[in-house]
Amino acid sequence: MGLPGTNTQKQVSTSPQLLEKIWWISLFVMLAAGGIAIFYRITDGLASTNLSSLMPWGAWIAFYIFFVGLSAGSFLLSTLIIVFGMERFEVVGRAALFTAIIAMIVALTFVLLDLGRMDRFLNAMIYWNLTSILAWEVHFYLLYIVLLVAELYLMIRTDLIRLHQESTGWKKKLYGILTIGSTDLSPESRLNDKKWMKILGYIGIPLAIFGVHGGTGTLFAVVKARVYWNSALFPIIFVLSALVSGTALLTFIYIISQKVRKLHVNIDVVKALAQLMAFFLIIDLSLEFYEWGVSGYGLEHEHMAVLATMFAGKHAWSFWGFQMFLGAVLPLYLIFSKRTRESVTALAIASISIVLGIIGVRFNIVVPALIVPVIEGYPTGDYFPSWVEWVSSLGVVAMGMMLYTIGAKLLPLDEDENEVLSHE
Amino acid sequence: MGLGDKLNLFMLDPKSYDHMVNTQVKDPINVMTDSDYDMDLAIRMGKDAQKVLSGNMTQDDFHQKYSPDLKIEFGDLYASGNANTPDPSKGVRWGMVIDLAKCVGCDTCTVSCKAENRTPPGVSYNVVIEQEIGVFPNLAKVNLPRPCMQCDKPPCAQVCPTRATYKLENGIVAIDYDRCIGCRYCVVACPYGARSFDFGESYEDEMIGFNDITAPEYGVDRGTREKGKTPQGVVRKCTFCMHRLERGEEPACVETCIGDARYFGDLNDPNSVVSKLAASPRAFRLKEELGTEPRVIYLR
Repeated sequence: MGLPGTNTQKQVSTSPQLLEKIWWISLFVMLAAGGIAIFYRITDGLASTNLSSLMPWGAWIAFYIFFVGLSAGSFLLSTLIIVFGMERFEVVGRAALFTAIIAMIVALTFVLLDLGRMDRFLNAMIYWNLTSILAWEVHFYLLYIVLLVAELYLMIRTDLIRLHQESTGWKKKLYGILTIGSTDLSPESRLNDKKWMKILGYIGIPLAIFGVHGGTGTLFAVVKARVYWNSALFPIIFVLSALVSGTALLTFIYIISQKVRKLHVNIDVVKALAQLMAFFLIIDLSLEFYEWGVSGYGLEHEHMAVLATMFAGKHAWSFWGFQMFLGAVLPLYLIFSKRTRESVTALAIASISIVLGIIGVRFNIVVPALIVPVIEGYPTGDYFPSWVEWVSSLGVVAMGMMLYTIGAKLLPLDEDENEVLSHE
Repeated sequence: MGLGDKLNLFMLDPKSYDHMVNTQVKDPINVMTDSDYDMDLAIRMGKDAQKVLSGNMTQDDFHQKYSPDLKIEFGDLYASGNANTPDPSKGVRWGMVIDLAKCVGCDTCTVSCKAENRTPPGVSYNVVIEQEIGVFPNLAKVNLPRPCMQCDKPPCAQVCPTRATYKLENGIVAIDYDRCIGCRYCVVACPYGARSFDFGESYEDEMIGFNDITAPEYGVDRGTREKGKTPQGVVRKCTFCMHRLERGEEPACVETCIGDARYFGDLNDPNSVVSKLAASPRAFRLKEELGTEPRVIYLR
């Protein structure tokens, strides 16, 4: 959900207005294409996908866990500022929370698309099966979205009131609604906001780690029928790769949104974020190393088959190309090499490369484990998403980017330190 | 000399054998005196039991005559009755036994299942996994028919977010087609690959009238098969032909098996054929280590 691609750096002379036009047009094109694909999805049902009973989950589930991860990662980054007082990251705090909300909406849209009976989605809330991790997750996601919205409201409340006072017309009405009737601009109320933000942050950290993303990993880890997922390390790897992708996305959004508006990019912030993301990435890689090493050492037949599918199967390019090269080797080189570590452009490339790499990670979680049949002698699954799956995914992502762009335009997502100080 | 006489040269006469055996047999009176129980009663019962066998005494008279003594002798142990009587309060719990030594891999079960349940393309409640194992010349062809295992601890029911799949009293794992949201978590979680998603396909093009009728699965008659209509878009699996069981028939795969390799019955009844076969040393269950407690038992 970044802003226009890296071409902005080459065409510094292009006016922001033109860029914005291009951006909106491309969003609308993607959205329209996605709409057509979703139309086919609705009329033909899941027959429009390349899924089968042998390969019950595919691209949409991979994107769903990717966006849940982005959300959890972004939120946890925001808590570094709110709860742990890491002020140097303050510039991305609001964007982090807003990204977390949008990513969650996108993730749930992917889950909805994936349901065989979309019309019955409420059943997961009405008939709550207490032994089902998925049922718990659905409830955690909703609770988490409520918490994120409350936290963002507290963060931008005073700015909303100010915008309400300053603006006219429909914007005044909108901000009036968003303030939920609050008009208190006193420093005491701001302190009160900060207190509650901290409390919500404290609640949010375990909710995001155990409830939202660790829980999503648990959803896979408890499936004893699939030996590759059935590991206690799995939920932890999920949380770590969430932190990696969340930090990477926010670094990218920060750089791009500053650049397109021709604002100053604070290289120290970017470097600090990049180092944080490299730190998370290295822990993530070590956990994966142990996961694969230990499971491979067992020489257990099914385990070996999954590893062979992932490392050397038909779609091994997604492992080596996305997960390993884009998701680890290239960004680590860019972050640590003497020639590139001071360059904003290089670090922007490193961060978007990680985001793409983590998409590969998510696909490699879902697909190889399902390709290997549960009983020897069954036909081996084969899966590559159909055009409906690709294009609808593009549409859903475009929807998220559009929501983000609208939010970034209307909501006070920039933390202007001077302004905040002057009011306090 | 005839052949019989020649053989007799090497044999003792029958009485000598008896003698040899008798020296090894303990004196029954001594053995019974050593036991904690009443010896006179045992001898009297033994004699009357012979009368029952020869038809000079009815079983009822025998029971009447000895009941008071046996109650004194064995107490509750006697009063509890026959351990092999099924407990009627437990009801029927269906189970299936498949004798792999009798399976020829003809796929009749698969075909009759598709015909009975009118399953669409891509949905097969029963399959036969056929595999060649070993290296020439030591080859074996293994056929493994695989219905739903109707596990007592079903992972599919455990993971279902809506409780649409659940365990029935009679042992069958059922799916509520009207509640299922089609998330396919159960398909992923089933260690036996016994579940399929109904993608809405049809044999109508190659078989006229396929869509005109559906099987009354779980006793619910859903009429014609139509686009978007339940059970399209939900997960399906073998029901042990519950609609047939309810009218006193065996599942289609059991009835049609050409080699009589499948047995069906009540695993709660210790005298049923399936219970007896389940106790055979040849018996095993698939992926026992996962703790799913399948109700389909194989004989190797």
